Amino acid sequence: MARVGVFVCFCGANIAEYLDVPQVVEEVKRIREVKYAVDYKYMCSDPGQGLIRDAIVQHKLTSIVVAACSPRMHEKTFRKALSDAGMNPYLLEVANIREHSSWVHQKNKKAATDKAMDLCRMAVAKSIANEQLHEISVPVTKRALVIGGGIAGIQAALDIADARIPVVLVEKSPSIGGKMAQLDETFPTLDCSQCILTPKMVDVASHPYIELIPYAEVIELQGFVGNYKAKIKKKASYVNFKTCTGCGACWQKCPVKVANEYNLGLDKRKAIYTPFPQAVPNKPVIDAEHCTMLLKGKCGICAKVCQPGAIDYQMQDEVIEREIGAVVVATGYDMWDPTPYEEYGVGRFKDIITSLEFERMVSANGPTNGVPLRPSDGKVPKNVVFIKCIGSRDEAKGIEYCSKICCMYTTKHTILLHHKVHDSHAYVFYMDIRAAGKGYEEFVKKAQTDTAATYLRGRVSKIYKKGDKLMVRGEDAQIGQVVEVEADLVVLATAVSAPKDNPDLARLLGISYDKYGYLSEAHPKLRPVETAKAGIFLAGCTQAPKDIPETVSQASACAAKVCGLFAGDTMKKDPMVSTINIEYCSGCLNCINVCPYTAIVTDEVPIGHGSKELRTVAYINEGVCQGCGSCVAICRSMAINLAGFTDPQIINEIVSI
Amino acid sequence: MNYTKQIQDIAAKLFAEGKIDVFVGYRVNGFDDNQVPALITDPQDVPKLVFTDKSVFNLVNYLKSEHTRRKRVGLVVKGCDSRSLNLMLTESQVKRENLYVIGICCEGVVDETGQKMQNCVECAVPDAVVSDELLGTPMSGSLTLTYRVNADIAKLSEMPLTERAAYFEEVFENCIRCNACRHSCPLCYCAKCCIDQETATLYNGANTTSSAFHALMTWSLHLAGRCVDCRNCEKACPSHLPLHLLHKQNESVIYENFQEHLAGVIPEDRGAFYKYSLKDPDDFIM
Repeated sequence: MARVGVFVCFCGANIAEYLDVPQVVEEVKRIREVKYAVDYKYMCSDPGQGLIRDAIVQHKLTSIVVAACSPRMHEKTFRKALSDAGMNPYLLEVANIREHSSWVHQKNKKAATDKAMDLCRMAVAKSIANEQLHEISVPVTKRALVIGGGIAGIQAALDIADARIPVVLVEKSPSIGGKMAQLDETFPTLDCSQCILTPKMVDVASHPYIELIPYAEVIELQGFVGNYKAKIKKKASYVNFKTCTGCGACWQKCPVKVANEYNLGLDKRKAIYTPFPQAVPNKPVIDAEHCTMLLKGKCGICAKVCQPGAIDYQMQDEVIEREIGAVVVATGYDMWDPTPYEEYGVGRFKDIITSLEFERMVSANGPTNGVPLRPSDGKVPKNVVFIKCIGSRDEAKGIEYCSKICCMYTTKHTILLHHKVHDSHAYVFYMDIRAAGKGYEEFVKKAQTDTAATYLRGRVSKIYKKGDKLMVRGEDAQIGQVVEVEADLVVLATAVSAPKDNPDLARLLGISYDKYGYLSEAHPKLRPVETAKAGIFLAGCTQAPKDIPETVSQASACAAKVCGLFAGDTMKKDPMVSTINIEYCSGCLNCINVCPYTAIVTDEVPIGHGSKELRTVAYINEGVCQGCGSCVAICRSMAINLAGFTDPQIINEIVSI
Repeated sequence: MNYTKQIQDIAAKLFAEGKIDVFVGYRVNGFDDNQVPALITDPQDVPKLVFTDKSVFNLVNYLKSEHTRRKRVGLVVKGCDSRSLNLMLTESQVKRENLYVIGICCEGVVDETGQKMQNCVECAVPDAVVSDELLGTPMSGSLTLTYRVNADIAKLSEMPLTERAAYFEEVFENCIRCNACRHSCPLCYCAKCCIDQETATLYNGANTTSSAFHALMTWSLHLAGRCVDCRNCEKACPSHLPLHLLHKQNESVIYENFQEHLAGVIPEDRGAFYKYSLKDPDDFIM
């Protein structure tokens, strides 16, 4: 007969203050199978665990019930205590009398005590039917997938690869580099962005442990931690990267001109193009939406001038598969579209530009060769108004959160303006200046002194045109008056927003995202780079707006997590997996339909003993099964049982109350 | 509605061409003009086959039997029967290539008193949805067929809760646990039914109201989103339990909440409980 030991925890005052622990102990002692029951102040402490270990030996216990906090908290702790006493750790049952009773019924001690007794009775009844289980070993594929080739993806890929773990880096555009490749200089040190980024891009391309797949997207992810299978769609580039030398003859001769995304449409590129001169890989792709050869079958100039014959107009999208063990998601961010700010004349006045457009203008490889010019007449602006919090901290038109980087990049922009146009004057409309970060406040102070920019605290209410100037009307809250500034150029510090595709990607990967579209971390403080799905990690702005130093730190943290995951050759896995009793399986295969992990496949078995005729049944791969129990619930003939949660265990629980 | 001649011709032809091993149809029972299922393996028996508005049984049920398993079968199906066949195919219980299906565009069948059956009056899918050969004129083209909530369900939902509970208590009391409902249902094909398993203590033991309640409720939930309202179970029940009440209630809830889902109408459709759609209602989740 079963001999159950029950250990009820006070959890300091967390449990003991709101329910009568000794009474719970007395009550469970009345259950026939309970041979030992005791309470203790902190059952998870070493002396507490010692109580369990000693009782197992002394009272020859066959299963253990710990009535304490949530099993999420200390199930592992107590399982270990069981193993240390030579008992199978899965003979443990945890009755959660803290979250499920004392914490939620603080005002009714009697009811809380009664409920705790019920929870204990259920756990005792279930534990009687507990069976010995053994951990499952599954092999690990030591290869990481990094989605997104911006600075976050680049840093994560390099750090993982440096630990001699193969990395597959997938980037959706023709070149890695991301938003950082579009920046001119970076705050707070004014390093040239390209100069610090491009060496890392080159490292990625030449690293023996990194497989760079540009112009591609992840379209499917199946499997589980350590054993994922990713399908990657390589978009047709119409250029054979193996033979292309990147000489540039094709894009010089291409007659089709298209708005250049890299410069945000401020100038033109060709239909066959590399996004920017320092692109990695430095191979062109053909824009199928604009190439006249692909659209109408006429032209073919690039193929004629290409000496290695790398142009292939027949190229098709290709889907490749990679087996991987972990995923780092680093899909970055989108700039928020300021169109809702109608009163500013966004879209009507050409001389209102966004901060990233300004960044491209002042960039040496930008559309205006590093000098800011008014889009309307090409003149150099003298008075430039910067307006902060466009979209950020604006519940009415934009988003509630602070985009974190705009204060700093606007400060940088005033400096860059001062450097490029010496006799210019900058006006900055701001709500607050948020400069928390190493050297950030000093940077703002120095910029204010050096550029002598005018800082006006208040929001802009209206922008209107007067001659060829823009009149910016706003409030200076510090003097409590309406001010008007005559501007040659207005720069909007637009918010950081989540990539539009994030919800789709989240669904594809099976992870969650928040109301803005940012991907959710497992815990905001203690697990900031993990997602709730094991083996998938987050780096950079895809999780929340952040600056470059923070992004790089998070990317390196992801790399450390991936390396930790791959430290052993196999992973231990909980034995709580489903098994099918094929005698009972009727082969309807509904379980295959509901399994979120594709752990179930079909199998053929003889229809009877010794028969040569076969019938179809379902088969569960225990390495893939995550023990969610969906198949158990859907199986009409109750042919499936989940170890640790078998029908006898559950029915025992139900019958006990 | 009389397709006796056509069915006899087709069956004879199928036997002559060696296309089938067994034909499942209807014959007159021998005492009166009521009909019973007929499994024919000898072509000489073909003249016994009949099909009229007294051909009430759902013959798809006989695809579960030893006599038809892994054999080539000729089969007659009405609209409702064909929907259960669709589900049998989807749930990989029978192979389509082993079947020759004679579909009927059904005008409704009658009960022993000669009255059109209630499910036929309310029928929304009279034409066979699976067939190799279709007899009769398809009605889905000429009629405006709409789903109607069962009259009994409407009546039942107006009853106060206590009255309804008392009514069903009586219903379950009359059950003798003979399991004829299960055996007569084409979709109850499990190798070992959950209510027969040793671990399923809720259904076991004495023939009590409680065990009948649990068994019948489990049974109706296993058929939720799958029951095609052929009423084989009611015809088989020796205690004349109003089993359709359980199924029709499930059907109307599913029809309202799961994009007007009707069981077995679409091929490869496993039913509302066995698939996931973003349109599924989730307002019951707290």
